[in-house]
Amino acid sequence: MEPDFVPTTSFVDFPEDVQLCILSFLTPPEIANFSCTSKRFVALCRSDAKLWHALCDRRWGSKTQIRKWGDGKICYRLLYKTLSEWESLIGFWRRSGQRSTSAAAAASAAPPPPPLVVFDWGPSFVAGSRVSPSQDGTYGVVKSPFLWMSLSPGGEPVNFVDPDGKGGEFGANYSVDSIGKTDLIPVDVNFMGCTHLVVEENMGLGGNSHRNGFRRSSSSANLCSDEEEASGGENGTFGSLPDRYMSEMYQHFANRTSPGGSSASRRQKKREKERQGKRRWEPEHFVKIVDCSPTPSRPLQGLWKGIGDCTKLEFYLVTYDEIGGIACRRVGEPADRFSGCAPVFWTSKATFIEPPFSQEEMIMYDSRMHLHPIDEENSMFGELPMENEPVTHILYINSSYDLLIPDLAGTTATDRHNEGRIWQYRDGTFGYGFLRDNFIIDLKHIAPNGCLLH
Amino acid sequence: MATSRKVTLLSSDGESFEVEQSVAVESITIKDSIEEGSAGNPIPVPKVNSKILAKVIEYCKKHVESAKAEDRVDDEDLVAWDADFVKVDQATLFDLIRAANFLNIKSLLDLTCQTVADMIKGKTPEEKRKTFTIRNDFTPEEEEEVRRENQWAFE
Repeated sequence: MEPDFVPTTSFVDFPEDVQLCILSFLTPPEIANFSCTSKRFVALCRSDAKLWHALCDRRWGSKTQIRKWGDGKICYRLLYKTLSEWESLIGFWRRSGQRSTSAAAAASAAPPPPPLVVFDWGPSFVAGSRVSPSQDGTYGVVKSPFLWMSLSPGGEPVNFVDPDGKGGEFGANYSVDSIGKTDLIPVDVNFMGCTHLVVEENMGLGGNSHRNGFRRSSSSANLCSDEEEASGGENGTFGSLPDRYMSEMYQHFANRTSPGGSSASRRQKKREKERQGKRRWEPEHFVKIVDCSPTPSRPLQGLWKGIGDCTKLEFYLVTYDEIGGIACRRVGEPADRFSGCAPVFWTSKATFIEPPFSQEEMIMYDSRMHLHPIDEENSMFGELPMENEPVTHILYINSSYDLLIPDLAGTTATDRHNEGRIWQYRDGTFGYGFLRDNFIIDLKHIAPNGCLLH
Repeated sequence: MATSRKVTLLSSDGESFEVEQSVAVESITIKDSIEEGSAGNPIPVPKVNSKILAKVIEYCKKHVESAKAEDRVDDEDLVAWDADFVKVDQATLFDLIRAANFLNIKSLLDLTCQTVADMIKGKTPEEKRKTFTIRNDFTPEEEEEVRRENQWAFE
C-alpha cells in the first residue's frame, strides 16, 4: 500500500510524547531499526528516562509500579531487560526433587513446604508465595509469600527468602533499605531453561556473581554440580546472622561491579563456605506448571482443588498428553507413569459421552454423595442437601495403570474397583468418583478468573 | 439527570456537533473545561476540523455504549470495531492522533499509536523514511555506526 505523501502531518511533527507513545508499542530490535532513520531519533531512542521508561510502562505498567523499582533510581533499559526475563516467572510452579536427606535436615523435622508456589507482581518486586489448602475444612486457600525478587538501584538482583513465611505484611512494605532488620536470607534465583528454577542461598562475600543474577545454564553438568553442592554442604548451626553481617553482604552484593573470578574458583569458595556450616536454607527446585487452566479443547486441564478421601482439601493437576489421554495427580507427586505412584485418575482417550445418558449412568450419578467441606454452620459431615449440578458430559476413567486383562476370571471385581467416571458440570467444573465407592469428589478451579483467593 | 445532558462542540471550521455529556467527557480536556466552568456553550475545539471531530465523536460514542453493555462478548466486537475504525488513509490517521492527543483521550491515542507502530514494524529504515517522510541526515558511515551501536543497546 503506497501511502499518500502529506508533508504537513509527518511523524516528525508529532509532539515528543506522541512519538514515544508510538515507539512504546515496538520491541527493542524494531526501535533499533527505527533509530537509524534520522539523527533526531537516535537521541530519542537512546534516552533512557523517556523511551525505555515508556517501553517498561507499556508492557508492565498495569501490573507493577515501574517508577518504584530500584528505589526509583534504576536505569530503565536494565529494568526492561530484567523484567523481560522475570515475566516468565509469573504463574504457578511446583517444587520438584527430593529435599536434602542429610541427618540435620531430618532432625529439624519441619514438614516439607507446600509443593505449589505462585509468582505474582508486587509494586516494586516479584513475589513467590507458597499455596496451601487452608485447614479449616472449606475450599479456602492460604497464600504465604516467602521469596522476594527485586533490583538494586544499580540493576543488580536483590533476592530474599523468608523461611518462616511470616513476612506477609513485610512484603507489602518491602524496600531495599529495610532488609537488614529481619531474618531474611539472601538467595540466588537461577533459570535452567525456561521452566526450571533453582533458588539457593547466596553465601555471600566473594561468592557467586552474575551480571543479572541469572545464570542461564542448559548443560546438565551444571545441574548436577548444583545438586552436589546442595547435599554436600553440612548443616550446622542455624543461628541467624547478625544485622551487620547481613547489611555488609547486601552492600557488597548490590554494589558489585565486576565478576569475582572464574566459575570454578567461585564454586570452590562456595563449597568452603558451606563446610563452615552457615547454610540456613536448603536449595529448592521448581518446575513451571505450564498449562494451568482449562481451554475449550481441553476442558479438564489445569490446577484444581477438591476435598479428597480424607476430607482434606487437596490440589490436583490434570494434564493432557499428545495422544488424547489425560492424567490427574495430586500436586507434588511425581508426574511420570513409571514412578510407582498411582494417578488419582487417568484415561487414554478423553472423549466425553454426550447426553442423553443411559438410565444406568444416571442412577450411578444420582445415588452418589458429594463430598463437601465441613461447614461450621452446617455441622453435617459432608452431606449437604445440595441440588446436583446438571451433568453435561461423562467420561470413563481409571484409577490405576495396571493392565486390565478381560479374559482372566475374577478380574471383573478388579475392573470395577478401578473404574470410575468424571461428571462434567455446566459451569465447567467437574466431579470424579469410582465404582468401588459411592462418593463424588467435586473439583473447583484453583484460581478462577485468575484470582487465587476468593 | 446529568448523564443525559447534552453539550455542543464546535470544530475549527465552524461546524457544531451536539453530543451527550457522557460521550464528550471521554476527552479529559473537555471534561476539565466543563468542570472548571470555563467552557462556553458551544465548546470550541480548535485544531480539530469537522471531519476528524465527527470521527472522534463516533469513537467516543461507541466506547461509552460498550462500557454500559458490560457483556464480555462485546469486548471482541469492540476490538473488531476498533480495527475497522483505524482503516483510514495515513493523513486521517495522523490527524486522529493529534486530535486524541489534544483532547486527551487515552484509549483513542493508544489505538491510533499502535496502528502507526504496526506500520513501522517490518520496514527497513529506508522504507520507514518514505512512509513517514523522515529526512535522512546520515552519511552512510554514520548510519552504519548507529546500527552497530544499536546492536549493543537493543540486543
